[in-house]
Amino acid sequence: MSRRRNAPCAPHDGTQRPAGPVRRALRLDGTRKEVLETGRTRLLVAGIVFAVAFSAIGVRVLDLAVLNGGDTRDVATRADGPPPVQTRADIVDRNGHVLATTLPVAALYAEPREVDNPAQVAHQLAPILTESTAAELQALLDSAKSFVWLDRNLTPRQQYRVNRLGIPALHFKQSEKRFYPYGELTAHAVGYTNVDGKGIAGIEQSFNQLLKDSNQPLKLSLDVRVQHILMEELRAKMQEFEGIGAAGLVMDVRTGELLALASLPTYNPHEPGRASDDARFNRATLGIYEMGSTFKIFSTAAALETNAVSLFDKFDVSEPIRKAGFTIRDYKSKDGKLTVPQIFMHSSNIGTVKMAMETGTEVQRNTLRDLGLTRPVTLEIPEVGTPMVPNPWREISTVTVSYGHGIAVNAVQLASAVGATVNHGRRHAPTLLKRDPSDVGPGTRVFSAKTSRQMRKLMRLVVEYGTGKNADAYGYRVGGKTGTADKPDHGGYGEAQISSFVGAFPMDDPRYVVFAMIDEPKGQEHTYGYATGGWVAAPVVKHVIERMGPLLGIEPRPVKTPEKENHPLLVNALSEDERVASN
Amino acid sequence: MSLAGFNRNPELSLGQKFLQVNWGLILLIAILAAIGCVMLYSAADGSMQPWARRHAIRFAGGLVVLLIVAMFDVRFWFRWAYPIYLVGVLLLVAVEVLGEVVMGAQRWIQIGPLTLQPSEVMKVAIVLALARIFHGISEEEIVRPTKLIGPLVLVALPTVLVLKQPDLGTSLILIMVSGVLFFAAGVRLWKFGVVAALGTGAVPVAWQFLHDYQKQRVLTFLNPESDPLGAGYHILQSKIALGAGGIFGKGLLEGSQSHLNFLPEKQTDFIFTMLAEEFGLIGGVALLVLYAIVILYGFAIALRARNQFGRLLAIGLTANLFLYVFINIAMVMGLIPVVGVPLPLVSYGGSAMLAIMISFGLVISVYVHRDVRIPRRGLGEED
Repeated sequence: MSRRRNAPCAPHDGTQRPAGPVRRALRLDGTRKEVLETGRTRLLVAGIVFAVAFSAIGVRVLDLAVLNGGDTRDVATRADGPPPVQTRADIVDRNGHVLATTLPVAALYAEPREVDNPAQVAHQLAPILTESTAAELQALLDSAKSFVWLDRNLTPRQQYRVNRLGIPALHFKQSEKRFYPYGELTAHAVGYTNVDGKGIAGIEQSFNQLLKDSNQPLKLSLDVRVQHILMEELRAKMQEFEGIGAAGLVMDVRTGELLALASLPTYNPHEPGRASDDARFNRATLGIYEMGSTFKIFSTAAALETNAVSLFDKFDVSEPIRKAGFTIRDYKSKDGKLTVPQIFMHSSNIGTVKMAMETGTEVQRNTLRDLGLTRPVTLEIPEVGTPMVPNPWREISTVTVSYGHGIAVNAVQLASAVGATVNHGRRHAPTLLKRDPSDVGPGTRVFSAKTSRQMRKLMRLVVEYGTGKNADAYGYRVGGKTGTADKPDHGGYGEAQISSFVGAFPMDDPRYVVFAMIDEPKGQEHTYGYATGGWVAAPVVKHVIERMGPLLGIEPRPVKTPEKENHPLLVNALSEDERVASN
Repeated sequence: MSLAGFNRNPELSLGQKFLQVNWGLILLIAILAAIGCVMLYSAADGSMQPWARRHAIRFAGGLVVLLIVAMFDVRFWFRWAYPIYLVGVLLLVAVEVLGEVVMGAQRWIQIGPLTLQPSEVMKVAIVLALARIFHGISEEEIVRPTKLIGPLVLVALPTVLVLKQPDLGTSLILIMVSGVLFFAAGVRLWKFGVVAALGTGAVPVAWQFLHDYQKQRVLTFLNPESDPLGAGYHILQSKIALGAGGIFGKGLLEGSQSHLNFLPEKQTDFIFTMLAEEFGLIGGVALLVLYAIVILYGFAIALRARNQFGRLLAIGLTANLFLYVFINIAMVMGLIPVVGVPLPLVSYGGSAMLAIMISFGLVISVYVHRDVRIPRRGLGEED
């Protein structure tokens, strides 16, 4: 700039002196020549100025390009400033959606002794700090302490407004806040941190050290979309049936990954302190329940696996069983004999018990152990309930365990065991972390492929004709089993129930297990007073599958359901001659 | 009245005129436009769309306009200088009344399918008008301050209108071009001194009238690093790009500053930065040399002109071109504050292209008709 300003002056001095004599000499030759002469001189001057200016920018190009006057080559690799310092890594879902992240915030504190007029300051701060009232703030400012926190997390706008008050006694400290974009949706799995940023629940607690040290986001197996669907459907049925709580999950049976893990009621992870203990209680992992009839899946599979019974065996279910003071009745008392598929389809307790007696205590115990139902499940969160198993495991235990009483497990264990049953007999340990496909091993074999195939047919039968019709999501070949268990109540069993349904789809080659459970549902008028798994939980599973199927790219493929009378399993089962022939 | 009988100058036929055209100058212009096309191709990440193709089409159209303008006798332009100036002023008034507001400034006017920037028209029109008025003022007369009232009014009117848009850059260019014409016409140097002193004195007053963004630009210019992500961003990124280019540049399409969208307005005002990053010092200096040769041509034509109008017209339009180039390049290198001035023939922009091509048309017309004499009192009246 200075060069340009000086430039016109320099030639000015140079031309002024000769201008006098030249002009006088030229005047003799006439004005035109003089005009032209002056004009030419001035053109020349202008030209020199232009040349100087051009040289200036030429030199500047040289300076920036070569002599490194720009001095900023390395800066050119970045668009913005240095990345913000982040002390705690993000937690993301399987698709990278942020479930937990760390935001820089300002913490506001005051030195009460410096505050001249606490009442006025409190009055000014109250509309900005929405967390506290003017009275609370004034109490803090009136205190005799030398230091008080007024608010630990100020948004930039709040900070700006506080700054604008211009009160010298207020100070800021740069701080961090853990932020959960999906809030209560994933609260139970992700957990939360305390005010000092230490994980004290869920994944935040289990991976506290890793999250502190790593700058890579921790990828969970969860899919927020599926999580959202599950929560919404569970909440709807919980409200409809006036339940006190609900739990559910979606698991990939081929890898053990949990795509969704829900527990209701839930809580806001930003303010865990305000949530009730009940809301913070994780019903899906910490809560252990007697699951009821869903256990018949394992009893039946164990019987088939050991060839203790065949699909076409018949059992007399007309007489209630009395054993060691217990009387076992059926929900749907059927006269006469039932085949194994019919026992399973109608969820006959008596039939199941008889099958379990054939199978034996030893086999039952080993099968449930292999399915991971007798020990705490290995899951990446600390809130895992220890199952209650019969000890000692006597014959009467075998009877009750066969239909899911006298043994209490959590939802993840149950779903994982069902997953093993339908996944060609191979069990994958459940996980909340995303598994690389190459890390997924073959799994541990619990049942033969044949047993698994038979069980899938039986479970499909339940949904086609049995107690689980309400779970039949169109085109997704859902199979499953209902469960309605009485809740222990003061040493006995009361009115309260746990109604559940565990389903898998598509049944010809299952990919996902969906489990839903409503705690203490009440029978409604439109369900004829029933609050069983078939009425309460099966529709949840149906709706979840209908919504998540298209989302995960599973095409609905309608299959023609055979008439009940023509169903191969049932026809064969009902025909005495054919059963004998097949033996 | 017939022009033919008016003076002793040989009248050239259209064919003869065509041969007289400075084809060398036109070749230089074409090279500059071609460089523009290449850079716009690169700015669009290796695509003729959306800029390069239209730039080429506009240049072709502009070339036709240039030749038509050049074929008209310089006396025709002399006669029409004031009407054209008047049209320019009216357009500026029109833009004030019914122009569209783009990015907070009112600079465009819609005429049928054309979007016109009247301030671009004015840059040519003011040179025509000043050349016309100074043509009628002799060296003796110019000493009298009263004789300067007319030219000063001619400058003040459009300058105020452009300032109102608000377009600080263009109004400064108008003043500087006028200054060059005043100087070339022979106005005494001490008068420039007075104006400069008055101008300096007016700075604090003018500061009050500047828009906030204009104040910001000046402050940023003074210290760009103070706000590297805000207003200083343009200049800083631009400097980084220049530094990154080095001597030979990164190669076409390889400039990270430009292609990763660090650079704002890379297809218009900051295109030189792109060029410097991709073709380095060599490319930047080569472009400067090209412009220098074009400007030299303008000077040579001004020197050869035997009529004051043509001489002033050529010098004024050449000064205009020089100011465009200088201000643009000095701006992107952080030598002066950021003002919206395109790089002639290279930057994308229809009005600017047209104005530049018309300017060259006029300069070539001055050359073709260099020996034409125009009486001091004008045409017509003396006939």
